[in-house]
Amino acid sequence: MSALEFHRVRKLFGATVALTDFELAIGPGEFVSLLGPSGCGKTTALRIAAGFERADIGTVRLGDRDLSPIPAHKRNMGMVFQSYSLFPNLDVRRNVAFGLKARRVDAVTIARRVDEMLETVQLTGLGDRYPHQLSGGQQQRVALARALASQPEVLLLDEPLSALDARVRSDLRDEIKRIQRETGVTTLFVTHDQDEALAMSDRVGVMSNGCLEQIGAPHEVYQSPASPFVARFVGSINEIPSAAGTILVRPEALEIHDDMANATWTGTMVASTFQGPSTIFEIRLDVVDALVRVHTATGRHHSSPGDRVSISMKGTHILID
Amino acid sequence: MKDRLFGRFVAPAILAVAAGFFLLPLFAMLRFALQNIQVIDLRWSNIFEKWSLAPLWSAFSDDQFGRALTLSLQLAFGTGLVSLILLVPTIVWVHLRLPRARSAVEFLTILPYVIPAIGMVAGIMVIKPHARWFLNSDLSLIPFYVVLALPFTFRSIDTGLKAIDLRTLVEASRSLGFGWIPTIVRVIVPNLRSAILSCLFLTVAVVLGEYTIADVLLKRTFPAFMGEYRGSDPKGGYGLAILSLVVTTLIFMIIGFVSRPRSMRRPRTKGTT
Repeated sequence: MSALEFHRVRKLFGATVALTDFELAIGPGEFVSLLGPSGCGKTTALRIAAGFERADIGTVRLGDRDLSPIPAHKRNMGMVFQSYSLFPNLDVRRNVAFGLKARRVDAVTIARRVDEMLETVQLTGLGDRYPHQLSGGQQQRVALARALASQPEVLLLDEPLSALDARVRSDLRDEIKRIQRETGVTTLFVTHDQDEALAMSDRVGVMSNGCLEQIGAPHEVYQSPASPFVARFVGSINEIPSAAGTILVRPEALEIHDDMANATWTGTMVASTFQGPSTIFEIRLDVVDALVRVHTATGRHHSSPGDRVSISMKGTHILID
Repeated sequence: MKDRLFGRFVAPAILAVAAGFFLLPLFAMLRFALQNIQVIDLRWSNIFEKWSLAPLWSAFSDDQFGRALTLSLQLAFGTGLVSLILLVPTIVWVHLRLPRARSAVEFLTILPYVIPAIGMVAGIMVIKPHARWFLNSDLSLIPFYVVLALPFTFRSIDTGLKAIDLRTLVEASRSLGFGWIPTIVRVIVPNLRSAILSCLFLTVAVVLGEYTIADVLLKRTFPAFMGEYRGSDPKGGYGLAILSLVVTTLIFMIIGFVSRPRSMRRPRTKGTT
């Protein structure tokens, strides 16, 4: 049985469709990300699960319970928000203990659990600090500890990393994944950052206009996109016009040859950008006026801007729009 | 050059004229009340002579004084409490669920400021025959004072709520297991401390200054007592009026102090670990 399941969920805000026929089933202990551009409905789905919005049609189930009649505070879900959501009047310990107090847990158990959680998020020793005395990254760690302290059935993460700067974001990303693995909590993560979604998730759902376009393991979504939208949204893509339609192909699925025979396309090297382990070549094709990018391992190919080259496809990762 | 001239001379001159406009009548009132000299004999030359607090002491010793002040303080406390109980949940609800209705609600709360209190008195006269059982109690003034204080109380709570990330805090509390009422008590109220204090102080100021309704309903509140006492002892009456002004000014100074922006607000900048 799924831990959390959306069945034919529909939600309108006035005339705007936020979700339509939304279907998603998350297995116990699974980490699923919803990825999509802003306004695609991913946050609405999460907020419906949390109980902050009501679905117009459809059901959301937690295990075998229908969540529709259950108010937000009785759903036993932990949530971490995009903006810093710690209670400014409470210190770190009391913030973490907040959900346990709501469940009328005794003081001794609360103290023990708070210690455990602070250790888990590596903030032992900061228990008596107030939110304004913590950095953004530390605040989100406390928010995570607070959400997990009462052992929720599902953890909901609403873009918790987006307010942080790059280095903290990447540290906390690893941290969240580690904690999720250790606690085994079923997690629904909403993000517009594909790197986060691909790196953290067991499965990634790509959303567009209120629908789930594709859901699958990160490598499936990347390598076998189900629709041109998914191909374009996840990772970078070359679009090459052809008689059959626009060919969508990943930069690493193209190969460059100096030999002009047996090539699919020929063209002229425009630029090359050295990026350490890989190099990106930009090539202007002859027949169709398109600029394509090719990623190769550094050292595999040596061409300079102005050189004539040919390109072929490795055969996979191709979609026709 | 023009700006400097304005800053150095014109602005202080305007300020001095405005201050004089307010302070001179008060000073005249003070001399009338507390200088033991006939009004006709008051001169600049005797400005430091024969000052005495005796008229105030005799007002204090009037047996109605204590009763009137106690009633006014009770009314202030009741008005503040009822205002908070009504306003905090209502404004929270408007902020979260009916943001488009905010300007309509704001307009409604301004009405008691625009319509003079005598307008409400006319309304009270209409309901009086049907609600004598209620209007007989001194505390029946509370609902009217709640309405009169609305322009001030609404604004202080509304401003306080705007200063916090209300939606996130409420949702965080609810996702952690608290319903609406515990969320208001445990999360919103503690984070509105300065707004609630200024709401309470403003209520005290309104209650200590309201005369019309109390007079019509024959309630002996502090302002009604002052009005009456002025008839029998004008010096003591004006002394009390000055004292009431001083107390109100102190209240506003306290509000200014408690509602200063705290340097300890939550940082909203990007952080580092």
